[in-house]
Amino acid sequence: MLSEYLPIAVLATLAVLFGVASLGVSALLRPNRPTRAKLAPYECGIEPARLPAGERFPVKFYVVAMLFIIFDIETIFLFPWAVGFRQLGLFGLAEMAVFIALVFVAYVYVWKSGGLDWREPAPRRAAAAPPTALEPEAREVVRAG
Amino acid sequence: MLEAAPEMDWLDWILLVARVVVVFFAVLISVMLLIWMERKVAADMQTRMGPMRAGPRGVLITLADGIKLFFKEGITPTLADRPVYLLAPVIAMIPAFLAFAVIPFGTGVTLFGRHVPFQIADLNVGILWVLAMGSLMVYGIVLAGWSSGSNYPLLGSIRSTAQMISYEVGMGLALVAVLMYSGSLQMSQIVASQDRVWNAIPQFPAFAIYLIAGLAETNRPPFDLPEAETELVAGYFTEYSGIKFAMFYLGEYVNLVVVSSIAVTLFLGGWRGPHPSFVAWLWPLLWFIAKVVAVVYLYIWVRLTLPRIRYDRLMSFGWKFLIPIGLLWVLATGAVVVLPDVYGKGALLTGALIVVGAILVASLLWPLIAPRRQSAGETPQ
Repeated sequence: MLSEYLPIAVLATLAVLFGVASLGVSALLRPNRPTRAKLAPYECGIEPARLPAGERFPVKFYVVAMLFIIFDIETIFLFPWAVGFRQLGLFGLAEMAVFIALVFVAYVYVWKSGGLDWREPAPRRAAAAPPTALEPEAREVVRAG
Repeated sequence: MLEAAPEMDWLDWILLVARVVVVFFAVLISVMLLIWMERKVAADMQTRMGPMRAGPRGVLITLADGIKLFFKEGITPTLADRPVYLLAPVIAMIPAFLAFAVIPFGTGVTLFGRHVPFQIADLNVGILWVLAMGSLMVYGIVLAGWSSGSNYPLLGSIRSTAQMISYEVGMGLALVAVLMYSGSLQMSQIVASQDRVWNAIPQFPAFAIYLIAGLAETNRPPFDLPEAETELVAGYFTEYSGIKFAMFYLGEYVNLVVVSSIAVTLFLGGWRGPHPSFVAWLWPLLWFIAKVVAVVYLYIWVRLTLPRIRYDRLMSFGWKFLIPIGLLWVLATGAVVVLPDVYGKGALLTGALIVVGAILVASLLWPLIAPRRQSAGETPQ
């Protein structure tokens, strides 16, 4: 069984060797003349500031990551069924339809509550929560979108 | 753990290693030709000449670029996390090569009385392997962006992560549909199941989803938001130079080769095609290459035609369009395969008519619902 993976192990070794060897040989052959300005992170000529400590991002990215896990698990769950669904027949199909329908309900809920909208919340909600004294702090959160 | 099958002797070993080495370098050369092809096609569509100097009609331009990058100074920015920064390009490149391992690019050839298959490994979990390697590809990008110690790469890598994982779901659903239709996870079986009609025809929605998700997975225009140069300089590889930059570039194009090869294998009949009976091993290989070039040409064409899509539209297209369509298509495929076995073909036709009728009624009723949505207020632009 595992001997099927033998060629892949050879290929992986080859790829790692190729990568490491090109890095190593290039490091030996290329010039190395660092200056302070050259080594500074890319910015338009000013001393760059790193993103704030803790590296905070819009919560959207976390939401996407969580949604991805849910839907990816769903896809993974589909795979074993998809392999054997010819044997499972109508029962399997109905089961899977129920499962997909349930996930679909959750999906519609996420959509309706704005979880899939990348833009700012709709004006209706923005009006409900007007800018408060917290605003200056909130501005420091770096926008990554 | 990886014990060899007992019957392997030294000749088998030599053939195995030779096969892997040949495929590895064939992929490298194909990337070289692919970059040249992209530049030539782009030049042609923009009525320019494109690269002309290095080699006949500039075919060696990529090699020249590679050699130049190889001898360029590599800069490690002061704020970078050194070990991760050095490893990230290698990590970005390896999964792309490994994903190619399961793709059958021909029938095989008999050498020294042994059958040498034109495929590195015919895993029984072929499609899962492709998905797994696709997921690993994200790591190189995330680590590169994070370890550079600079703002633009970090922003680019976070964007890229969100984009790649979003489109991975759609891609997974398209692959599930193919798997259901052909009844196997094994690449060689999937190719064998397309002996009469290519999967691209009965599975057209899955094919379309796969091609679009493939664009997003390879970070190619119009989905090249991670390296949107107007906003993020060069995205996650802003701080990379010299050979490390070349490796990201290589990984990206190997990935394009892999995505196109998978599209060919799963949807376009793989290496199948009519061919004469002499030199029987050669023709499937040529068919495979021709089909891959056709898919790559499509990707280049798309790149040169469409403007870059806005980030929020990119995300909502993935989540609000590709995923529901993919889910429905999986169910539809299941119904089409299972129901005739249970009820006979007539019931299937009735079912299909009911579905079509329901869609027609829904589209007629849509104008009644749509204005109400508008008055409720989408964000006014």
